[in-house]
Amino acid sequence: MAEKPKIAWYWCASCGGCEESLVDLAERLLTLFETVEIVFCPVAMDFKKEDVEKLPDNSIAVTFINGGIRLKEHEEMVKLLRRKSKIVVAYGACSAWGGIPGLANLYTLDEILERKYLEVPTIDNPKEFLPAKKTVVSIPEVNMKFELELTEPLPVLRPLDKVVDVDYYIPGCPPTPDVFWNALQTLLGNNLPPRGAVLGALWKSLCDECPLNETKPEKLLVKEFRRVDRTTPEPNKCLLAQGFICMGPVTRGGCKALCIKSNMPCTGCFGILEGVVDYGGKAISYIGSILDYSPMQEEEIRKAYDKIPDWVGVIYRYTLPASKLRHKVGLEFPKLIKEMVEL
Amino acid sequence: MDEVRIGVYVCHCGFNIAGVVDVKKVAEYAKTLPGVVVARDYVFMCSEPGQDLIKEDIKNQNLNRVVVASCSPALHEITFRTAISEAGLNKYLLEMANIREHCSWVHHEKEKATEKAMEIVRMAVAKARYLEPLEELEVEAKKSVLVLGGGVAGIRAALELANYGFDVYIVEKSPTIGGKAALIGYIDPKTKGAEVVSKMVEKIRDCPKIQVFTSAELVQLTGSAGNYVAKLRLNPRFVNSRCTRCGECEEVCPIEVSNEYNFGLDKRKAIFIPFKNAYPPYYAIDYRVCVKCGECEKVCRYKAINLKEEAKIVELRVGAVIIATGYDPYRPFKGEYGYGLSPNVITLFQLERLLDPESPTKGELIVGNKVPKSLAFIQCVGSRGTTLGAKSYCSRMCCTTAINSAIKIKEKYPEMNVYIIYKDIMTYGSDESLYEEAGKKLINFIKFEEKIPKVTISPEGLFIDVFEYTIQQEIRIPVEAIVLSIGMLPPRDIEELIAVTRVSCGGEGFVREAHLKLAPVEAPTKGIFLAGCITGPKNILESIRMGSAAAAKAMSLLSKGKITIEPMIAQVDEERCSGCGICVAVCPYSAISIKSVNGDRIAKVEKALCMGCGTCNASCPSGAMQHLGFKDVQLLAQTVAALRGESYG
Repeated sequence: MAEKPKIAWYWCASCGGCEESLVDLAERLLTLFETVEIVFCPVAMDFKKEDVEKLPDNSIAVTFINGGIRLKEHEEMVKLLRRKSKIVVAYGACSAWGGIPGLANLYTLDEILERKYLEVPTIDNPKEFLPAKKTVVSIPEVNMKFELELTEPLPVLRPLDKVVDVDYYIPGCPPTPDVFWNALQTLLGNNLPPRGAVLGALWKSLCDECPLNETKPEKLLVKEFRRVDRTTPEPNKCLLAQGFICMGPVTRGGCKALCIKSNMPCTGCFGILEGVVDYGGKAISYIGSILDYSPMQEEEIRKAYDKIPDWVGVIYRYTLPASKLRHKVGLEFPKLIKEMVEL
Repeated sequence: MDEVRIGVYVCHCGFNIAGVVDVKKVAEYAKTLPGVVVARDYVFMCSEPGQDLIKEDIKNQNLNRVVVASCSPALHEITFRTAISEAGLNKYLLEMANIREHCSWVHHEKEKATEKAMEIVRMAVAKARYLEPLEELEVEAKKSVLVLGGGVAGIRAALELANYGFDVYIVEKSPTIGGKAALIGYIDPKTKGAEVVSKMVEKIRDCPKIQVFTSAELVQLTGSAGNYVAKLRLNPRFVNSRCTRCGECEEVCPIEVSNEYNFGLDKRKAIFIPFKNAYPPYYAIDYRVCVKCGECEKVCRYKAINLKEEAKIVELRVGAVIIATGYDPYRPFKGEYGYGLSPNVITLFQLERLLDPESPTKGELIVGNKVPKSLAFIQCVGSRGTTLGAKSYCSRMCCTTAINSAIKIKEKYPEMNVYIIYKDIMTYGSDESLYEEAGKKLINFIKFEEKIPKVTISPEGLFIDVFEYTIQQEIRIPVEAIVLSIGMLPPRDIEELIAVTRVSCGGEGFVREAHLKLAPVEAPTKGIFLAGCITGPKNILESIRMGSAAAAKAMSLLSKGKITIEPMIAQVDEERCSGCGICVAVCPYSAISIKSVNGDRIAKVEKALCMGCGTCNASCPSGAMQHLGFKDVQLLAQTVAALRGESYG
């Protein structure tokens, strides 16, 4: 029997949803296990970094990496995996373009640490401890001392392809089981698409497969923007035409319009289309285009835009680190991270 | 893509560019740019030898892109396009780098200007790398013309076009065609305005090629030369062609308003006939003042009135548009030369009505209840910067009209003392004979200069104090009537006209011709022509001639039934378009629609309607809509070059 192709999974800055999406393969998982050998998969299997290091270069058929590159450890691991793999696939929105954790690029690391460890209402940290490169914990009762070394955070989050060469992308937050399954068949088959291709999804934007596309009025113009947390959209009517900001027109199709079918506008997790240089730029262009006021009506226009409190979060929800903006300017290395903290 | 081979040609433009920009340095720099195989400078690139340089290089060096760094493309893009196409290159493989208007003309510091010129060239070269050959398109052109305005200019244009076999639609805002010429008593010593107009109207009535829409407005104009789509709003007239002009309705109508067709000399009802030979020849109800009491409807025996009539929208497809919406008479303010303070002070237009046999006074010159024993014209009211708030131009028709009327008055009332108080007499050309004739008729000409005449209204009567320029003496003239020779203003609704037709205005507020000598009668937008006083003051004769000229221009544009359009328009990549429809809403020319292609919704651009504005291109969320000649890759390359980036991608 021929050797099964080796497959690896790795996680970087992600929420765990991508791992969930593997489980969502359900009974198809069994077929998967029959066809491939999994050599590395921190979420499910106890292989260590050394195990990967021992593998010969280019010996892994496909490595799927989810999450953005936020820590030095991520950077080291993906470089290692790149060396060991024939094909590296950016799996999911965070790995492909930064994803939701990429929105942290709007803040400095210090701001993030302060918020996370000191300000958040749910935090209980009376001594105001912050993570440090080395944390020493002494327990006098048993006369013992423990040391914890943490990897350093990087000043910004980067998509995978800004750190290593990426062969293919699988979009989604997370990728749907069908998209992943289709991509897997392609990757394990004989006809590999050209490098850089997005697997398992459509070439056109979501409107192409959206069941509500037919319901658009002849001229798609709106007087105000609405939010789903304030108003329930009318079912079976194009959400954009109702004023709900739907990213469908600017987002790659292939998800089978799952959110739309649940009466929720597209938030854009299938990401950037071929030929679009900046996702958010394109998004704000078309959103601005459908606002039905003359350029003279500045007051009305301002009012309409003010209805949406977080524009960056809307138009760059999954793609900020891959955009022309990338991150807030003037990021310095955090002052708040100390070399050593003793507890 | 084949290997890019760019030639860069830096023009000295005599000293225009070379006087400020180091052109040799720019050419040397251009040689270092990626894709450039040859770069030269020359004293006049647009000259024959200059063009030959380019042509020879195309042949000998196998160039496939050309960048000319010279003046604005508005000036010489066509020159160089023609040159490179003569050398066998597609003419759209040319990029102009404007280093004159955008650089040498506006800068003085040589070093910095040279640096900027180099940057402009770098950007042009970056874009040129991505240029593609384009083919001009021929589209069908409609052999029909929309004429806006039913005055003499518009009517003349319509008649010419109809004679040539074109379909013509006249759109007139008021309930009748004829314009102001129909209201002028005598346009020359022998001809009544109303007669000229009614002869023209007769021809229109008999012409099946001309369709007249009165009480109508153009509310939207989309498309382009050869294929305009005009949306008209037909305001309700409430009276249809069953009307026999019996006049019973007019008697019962309770609404009375000032009669604009007699320039306020009398009143008219809300239901009215504008003037005797008005066309269409039946009553109209002024929808702005009618209270819909229904009295007229009750008395009408012919069921010609329907007060429930509503405004209708009509869409017409036409190849060209002629704008002939005329002018407004100058509106003297209250107290200007006593205007509005005494019934004996009237305007030239009111006088013209009084002299018309169809007038309320049956042609009798009755001013303030009687025929005056003496009458003075004051010229240049609202013109030539004479009075406060006057326009700076000469209104062209007032001198001739005033003298012509003065002669008519003298013929009818030989005993009347008639004065013409003037600044300069502008009876140009053959009208000079009228001036002579007036002298023979003992009409008194009194000249003033800077100091304008003063009108005093007192219980003893009207007095005009004027400093007579030739005798250099202050004189006081007692008169019984004063006629203000008011000039012309741009029509009140010109703003709406501009908004709908996108024509542009000159300094005085009239519509501008593309070029007075090189492109007369043409608006800057192809397929839109201008006639009559909309471009500035004219007399009736000139307006009529301009109507003919506009018609001739429209014919020459459309007579082939085909029109060439620029290929620099929007193009949909059907492989990418998801039919989201954003572009449909933003297109200002209604050139895009969503079509179903094999079950897929896809945007389609109607090439003849696309004006290449780029709005769809900017709004397209998926990058499927591209503007040929300004594709994303081309503009991004240019942008990256501007920001000194290495490459785009």
